[in-house]
Parts: sequence; structure tokens; C-alpha cells
Amino acid sequence: MSSSFATKFAIPEIIFGNGSINHLASCARGLGARRILLVSDQGVEDAGWVQVVMDILDQNSLECVYFNEIDSNPRDSQVHAGLEIYLAEGADVIVALGGGSPMDTAKGIGIIAGNGGNISDYEGANRIKRPLPPMIFAPTTAGSGSDMTQYSIITDVSRQVKMTVISRSLVPNISIIDPTMLRTKTEELIIASAVDALAHAVESYVSRLSSPFTDHHALQAIRLFVENLERAVEYRDPKALEQLSIASTAAGMSFSNAGLGALHSLAHSLGGMFDVLHGLVHPILLPAVMRFNMPHSLEKMAVIGRILLGPCPHSDEYAAEEGIHQLETLFKSLNVPTRLGEILPDPEVLEPICKMAVYDACTLTNPCDVTWEDLQSICKEAW
Amino acid sequence: MTTRRKPIVPIKPGELQVHSPPARPAHLEDIIGIEHTKLGFFEQLRQKIEELETKNQETEDRRRETAAILDGISDLMMVLTEDLKIISVNHVFHETFPGIENPEGHYCYDLFRHESTPCPECPAFRSLSTNTVCKETAIFRIDGTNRHYEMIASPLKNPEWPKHRVLIFKRDVTMEKIYQAKYYQAEKMATLGVLATGVAHEVNNPLAAISGYAQGLQRKLAHIQQQADNTTLEDFREYTQTIVNECNRCRDIVHSLLTFGHPICTFSPMCINDIVTETLKLLHHHLKSQRRITLETELAENLPISYGDAPQMMQVLLNLLTNAVDALNNGDCGGRQGEGTITIRTSATPAEDWVRLEVSDTGCGIPMKNKDKLFEPFFTTKPVGKGIGVGLSTCYNIVRGHKGEITVDSQVGKGSKFIVTLPTNPDEING
Repeated sequence: MSSSFATKFAIPEIIFGNGSINHLASCARGLGARRILLVSDQGVEDAGWVQVVMDILDQNSLECVYFNEIDSNPRDSQVHAGLEIYLAEGADVIVALGGGSPMDTAKGIGIIAGNGGNISDYEGANRIKRPLPPMIFAPTTAGSGSDMTQYSIITDVSRQVKMTVISRSLVPNISIIDPTMLRTKTEELIIASAVDALAHAVESYVSRLSSPFTDHHALQAIRLFVENLERAVEYRDPKALEQLSIASTAAGMSFSNAGLGALHSLAHSLGGMFDVLHGLVHPILLPAVMRFNMPHSLEKMAVIGRILLGPCPHSDEYAAEEGIHQLETLFKSLNVPTRLGEILPDPEVLEPICKMAVYDACTLTNPCDVTWEDLQSICKEAW
Repeated sequence: MTTRRKPIVPIKPGELQVHSPPARPAHLEDIIGIEHTKLGFFEQLRQKIEELETKNQETEDRRRETAAILDGISDLMMVLTEDLKIISVNHVFHETFPGIENPEGHYCYDLFRHESTPCPECPAFRSLSTNTVCKETAIFRIDGTNRHYEMIASPLKNPEWPKHRVLIFKRDVTMEKIYQAKYYQAEKMATLGVLATGVAHEVNNPLAAISGYAQGLQRKLAHIQQQADNTTLEDFREYTQTIVNECNRCRDIVHSLLTFGHPICTFSPMCINDIVTETLKLLHHHLKSQRRITLETELAENLPISYGDAPQMMQVLLNLLTNAVDALNNGDCGGRQGEGTITIRTSATPAEDWVRLEVSDTGCGIPMKNKDKLFEPFFTTKPVGKGIGVGLSTCYNIVRGHKGEITVDSQVGKGSKFIVTLPTNPDEING
């Protein structure tokens, strides 16, 4: 973190624990809810959690309006469709249940409900001038960290770009993290979201805006990821899932306040052009980005390396390099795509993707300055 | 481990292009957002409260303005439902019915008439059915007093209201009616005065002839006293003298009539004792018919001269005496009907700045509840057809016009005493 900046640490109220979703109704009532807009998606619905939440609200005499027309990369049109329901049904409090997509969509709906206009009007930082409806988020993926952050990522379909909206108003009022919800996740989703959380932790740890307040959470997240991923994937061990849930939350607390880096710039740009699952990009690009940034944040990379490798008596360079190598090995063992060529049709697309990615807000907090050519070289390395 | 992967497809295949930088590029400071905080309920609430307070002030100002306009209306105003239930009223209502704090929900006819059905002359129904402004007048007895009202009903129809309403103005025209009545009375009196004057003039000539011939006869008596016996002569002397005397009396009455009928009100020196004498001449016959009523006069000697309009003062005394006779004739007060004493007394204050005229009777007296209303126009305790209740109010106005006072002192069953005091020099009295 540059010493010329004061720092800040903002997070929502966090309710954590197995079965904590049962507090949803009283939390909503505390925020003045009478008619709740519940935002979720088909996957969460299929897993039965939407019905669970609806029952909880129903038992507490809270009316509920349901919205689920959301893709894995939520689009501006979907935000506006959700807003129409919010307004037409006279909803007050917004509850998002699921991964990053329902939560980012919920934030988008909240922005327009409170401020009017189009979601693209709020692209960038601190454009939101009026309050949002109260928001309660219940993550089911342990990865996106959207329930902690001041970010909302919405795809502008016409521009083929993932817009980043940054505002403290986007930090939800309450985040209810119930690890039991992770048990129904698919293996692919557990991996994707866990790697997503790891990427958040790594990038925010080396970010230009990292601070002692975020570092602690970032390192905790990396440690919990390393210690629990395998057990969670292979055995669906509830304890391990719970720890991944904590890792995701910690990573969220860290990156919401410290920001991310070039990896997420590229991931957003890719996601804007290709409907690719966010978490799938990270195993491919994370090692390459870490290598690119290593000279500018060697000490911190070494700290990460030593967490991945265990006690390592060698130099920082060695620890950092070996840590990255260890990550690559881990990703390969997870049987996820690890080369960019596997998920992209044509290397021709790299140039526009990288040219767009330099403008992403995440590029700002990368430990070193990057040009689109730098990003292209990273992508080529990962091809 | 196996993973199921979705096929990856471009959102818009084949249209990949390089985009320009965002219009509002973010900076590191933006991401920290030191000065940006989560906008919450409080700020929203504060703004809303401020907004509402401003709105409330505006509404209050408008309300006050409307209230000031409504307060400026001196008519009693009511908004009623179709079945005449009061919805709202203005301040005049509360002045008219001080005992009713919440008139909303009362029926108009219940308050004004103590009836359980609408009044037949009510203009509200007519105005609603014809959709026009309708007028009507009616007399309501409010707080024991008859009040004459002019009513104007306007229909209030609004498609958004479940039922029609009607706006009613009630203007108290009692005073106007009184002045109108007085005007008629005064006009009648003036006509009567002119008539009396004419009659008096006409009667004067034959009277003069009768008197002249009677005196001629008296002179002739000396020539015929040898031809007639003494008894006959004495009869003739007595009869002719009676004719002359009665003629003189007629002349005086006619003179009184002429004075009374004098149409122009002029203040001139007058002696209250003379007014008493003159008035009694006019009432002589009326009083004589009341055989069991004794009239006593106690007129002060050397009464100071006061100033005023003698015919008007005669009218005052005439009214007071008529009232006294009526009081003695009232059968409701026990005692023997038509029997008693009327006393007319005149006096002066030691400093001789006020003269006093009292008319007392030994009649039934005035109950306490009526004392305050005695001098009100149209107040009367007499049966229908026996008086319209303007006598005492006329007296009151005449005496006030002379800068004097009229009061009453009465005990039920023992009698009443009306006291008129007049200044001997009205110019010194203010107001």
C-alpha cells in the first residue's frame, strides 16, 4: 500500500454459522421489510434453497416476490427486468441468495431502485448519490465475495463489456453466511468458487491498496484454501466446506477494501465478450499474472509461496517461484482447464480483450503498471 | 475428478472490437472512497423529514390563508351531506351554537329546529336536484331567541366523492328585519300623525262653532231670566258651561294630537310634567274604561327643563303606560285581573343634571329570564295579535337618542317600575 493514501475498511454486518439462514426473517424485519424481493437463480432453486428461504419468510409473515432470470454473468437487461418486478410488486428489502450473479444483480436492482436511470450510468467509482433499499445477502457458493464487497459487475451487452460499479453503498446491510448451503454445490462450482476466492485473496494481498487490515484476511483466506480445498472437493466434508466459506468471506473482506489486479481485469474483459464462468479463468491466468507481478511484490509473493509450500528455508525468489509452481500443479490436479487455448476459440481475440482490460478498475490496484501489451504477453504465456 | 463444463460462446460472435476508455476513469482514491460512506436510512429519513416539514409548512400557510378567508365570512357556513348531516362548519357556527364543540355528524334540522326530519322549506334539496344555487328565508328559535335567517344553498358535486354535498350559507338578517319593521312602524306613525293633524284641524272648526254658540247662549241667558223660572235657568247655565268646558277640553286634545303628529323631530326645551299631562289627556278615555285601575301622579314641583323631542317622549310614556295597563290585566299573575295602581312619578337629581320619570305598576312583574330581553326587538310575552314586541325597543331607542337611560326594576308578583332618566343638558353627555 502506498503511504500517500489513508486507508479504509468497510464490511457489512456478518452473521455466520450453520443454520444462520434462519435469522433471515428477523434481519429483514429489522430493516423494515414487508415485501421482499428475493433474487436467486435456477441452480440455487434446483438445490432447494430458494424454497427454504421462501418458507422461512412465509412462516414469519413476510411477503416475498421472486426473481430468477439471471445468467452466470448478469446482464444489464436482467437488472432492469428485476427492477421492474421490484417496483411493480412494491417490494422494499432486497434479499439475494446464491453466488456472485444473483448478488451483483441484486445490487444493480438496488442502485436503480434508489437512484433511477440506467445501470451503465453508475459504471465506475462512487457515482451513486442516493441510498439503496436495504439488502441482505446469503451466499451459497463461498467464492464471489460479493456479499462483502463494494463492487457490482454487470455485463453491458451492447458494449460487450463487464461494467464495474464501485460504491460503499453496494456493501450489503447484512450478510448471512450459512456453510450448510455449500453442501449441495457441484464439484465444478466448489472448485470454481474456491479458486475465485483464492484469486481474490492473492490479488488483494499484493494490491497497491492492501493494508494491515486486509492483509490479515487475505492470508487467512489463502491458508484456509490450501488446508481445506481437497477435503471439500473429495469428501464434501462439512467442516472443510465451512472453512472454505470462511476463506471466501475473508477474501471478500480483503478485496472489497484493497482491490484486485490484472487477473480480474482480464477475467472481466473475457467475461464481457465470452459467457465464461468467472472462476474458470483464474486457474488459467493466476499463475501467469503472479509471475508477471512477482518482481514488484516479491516479499508478499514469497509469503504466499511459503503458505502453499509449508516452511521453506530458501530465498524469497525461490519461495515465490515455487509457490506459483505449486499452484499450477494444484490446478492441474483439479482437472480444470489450465491453458487459455482450451477455453478460447482463437488467439486473435486476445488483443481486443487486453485492450479493454487495461481500462478495468482492477488494473489500477495491480502492484505494477500494466499496458495492454503486458496483458497480451500474460495471455500468450497462458495460451 | 471430472468437471462438467458449459460450452463457451461469445455474447455477440464476430463483433469483437476495441472499446474506448470509460468516460469516467476511476482512480485509486475512488476505490478507497474515504469520503464516500454507505448511504443509509438516516440520510434518506432526514431528507424526507425536511421535505415533509417544508411541505407541511406550505400546507399550513395555505390552510391559514383559507381559514382567514373563511373567517372573514360573517355568514354561518356549513357543508352538509345529501341527508343534511354536517361535515364542516366555519367559526360563525361556534358563535351561534357555543355549546356544540363537534358539530360534525349532527343533523342540521336537529340543531336549528330540534326536529327529527328536514324542514319543508330547506333549499338544500332543491339546489341538489336542480343543480343551482337556491335561496330561502326562515325563522329559527336559537337559544330562546327568534332569529331570522336568509339561506343560500349551493350544490357541491365531485365525481370522486361517493356522495354529493351541499354548501349552505345562513345569514342572520334579524336586525335588517327589525329595522324594516321599525321603518314601517315609523311610516305608519307618520301617516297617522298627518291624518290626526288633518282630523284635528277639521274638528277644530265645528268645535269653535259649538263653543261660540254655547257662549252666545250664555250671553242670551241674561235677557230671558225674567221669562223663565230659576231652576230652568240654572240648568241652562250649567249645560252651556259644560258645553264650553268640553269644547275647551276637545280643543286641548286636538292640540295634543297636533303636537303628537308633528312629523319633524326637533329637540327643544320640554317639561316632563307637561308631557305627562298631555299624554294622560290622550289616554284619558282608555284609562277611564279600566274601572278598577287607579292612576296616581306624583309630579315634582319646579322640575328642571330638559331638552328633547316632546312627541317622541310622549310616545315613550304612552308605551310604558300601555305596558303597565297590560301588566295589570295579565291573568297569569294571580291577584285580581285588571285591578291595581299605576303611579307616574317625576323627580330630579339634587344637582338638577338629570330628570327622572318613573312608571310603576302593581302588576305581575317580570320573570328574571325575560329581564335581559325586555328591550330586544320583537320580544313580547303578549299573546299573538296583541302586540308585536316593538314598544319597549322603540322606547329604548328613543331614550338612547336623548342620551338618557331606561331601566327596569321588577319583582315577580309585586310589580314593575320602569325608570327613564334624561339629562337636563344632553350636550354635556358624551356618546
